[in-house]
Amino acid sequence: MCLGIPMQIKSVEGFIARCEAKGVERDVSLFMLAEGEARPGDYVVVHVGYAIQMITEQEARSAWELYDQMLSGDTSLPKEANPGA
Amino acid sequence: MLNAHRWLEEIHRLPLRDTVRVMNVCGGHERSITLAGLRGALPTQVELIPGPGCPVCICPERDLYQAIQIALSEPVTLVAFGDMLRVPVNVPRRETRTLEQARSRGADVRPIASPSEAVTIARTERERDVVFFAAGFETTMAPVAAMIEQGLPPNLSVLMSGRLTWPAVAMLLDAGAAFDALVAPGHVATIMGPEQWDFVVERHHLPAAVAGFTPDSLVAAIYSVLRQKLEGKIFLDNCYPEVVRAGGNATARAMLARSFKIVDAEWRGVGVIPKSGFGLRRQYSHIDARLRFADHVDESRKRIGEMPQGCECASVVLGRIYPDQCRIFGTACTPRNPVGPCMVSDEGACRIWWSAGRRPTAA
Ligand code: SF4
Repeated sequence: MCLGIPMQIKSVEGFIARCEAKGVERDVSLFMLAEGEARPGDYVVVHVGYAIQMITEQEARSAWELYDQMLSGDTSLPKEANPGA
Repeated sequence: MLNAHRWLEEIHRLPLRDTVRVMNVCGGHERSITLAGLRGALPTQVELIPGPGCPVCICPERDLYQAIQIALSEPVTLVAFGDMLRVPVNVPRRETRTLEQARSRGADVRPIASPSEAVTIARTERERDVVFFAAGFETTMAPVAAMIEQGLPPNLSVLMSGRLTWPAVAMLLDAGAAFDALVAPGHVATIMGPEQWDFVVERHHLPAAVAGFTPDSLVAAIYSVLRQKLEGKIFLDNCYPEVVRAGGNATARAMLARSFKIVDAEWRGVGVIPKSGFGLRRQYSHIDARLRFADHVDESRKRIGEMPQGCECASVVLGRIYPDQCRIFGTACTPRNPVGPCMVSDEGACRIWWSAGRRPTAA
């Protein structure tokens, strides 16, 4: 439940930002960031609809990449030979 | 930064002799570790132990019962994070055991993914009382505090059930816990600052490192604590500097402090842990669902506050056993028919191990 996902800010209206990650758009509250800290184009880590911290574009991209790999099960790490055995 | 592969090579080069037990306290960490198959990729001396990292799993049975009873007997809409809906309380089978069952029996129970959804529902249905059953750790309670600070519609109240992570680890360590190093939760530290975990190093002289959620960051943190231990130079490392900064998120922490006081709080199956819960401050008593609705807690119920009969979640949560050491893991207890909260929640170690293909050990 504590996982945050990096998203890119598309537009900002008051404390609400329209954010995008991997083609999915969401309204995200910027209320927990310092005022004016996050602008369109910036990347934020989002948890339960709230931006909890800023993140650089490069870091956001590498996080997405790794989450993708993890979720597709395509990790380059050796799998346990026989789980549960 | 090195990738997970390179860090693993470094770890295999370390002159490890004795077993090192590394505890993590975050369901997200456990998921990455298990999905990436890290246990199998590490030297056999390194044990990775999932600890108290699932807020749903330790959500007090009494609070859950209270939420179910409010949903059933009051004319309200009860909203909660989706994971909470299938967690069972200890009542006889014919009675309502979960929020999901309450819904199928006519109660208006709705899953939400964000505190702002609770506000939206309350604004759209002004004539109806809406109760937000708010469970979660610091990362989740900060947005709840933000929601409160932005002002709630008068028909919205909060049933508080939030917890702090570090006091559970402190309790384990004070009791002489069986682990040698800690991987600290990255998004809790994003909000609260890494300093919250200084006590592990300063008071208990154990290596610790804050980690993010990718295998890269996790393996870096594991390497850090192993190396610290070998060299005898321990400190709190930050292996997630992208978002974890000194002091955390000051705005979020100030909001937490303005909305909540820190209270002694119950953890399901564990008991009361001092100063481990978030309670509403007095100026917010008007939004306290506990004051707005009758107290339904019935102290005569059997196994009140405990984990379900036969379920070993309490031992799993405290890192005393691995999920597959529970006698009914994967047999009587599966995600389809979960017996305990650790099999219900996406953050629960039992659920994570099952999803990654773990099956019962005792064949
Ligand atoms: S396998 Fe099921 S019953 Fe056993 S500890 Fe896990 S959740 Fe509880």
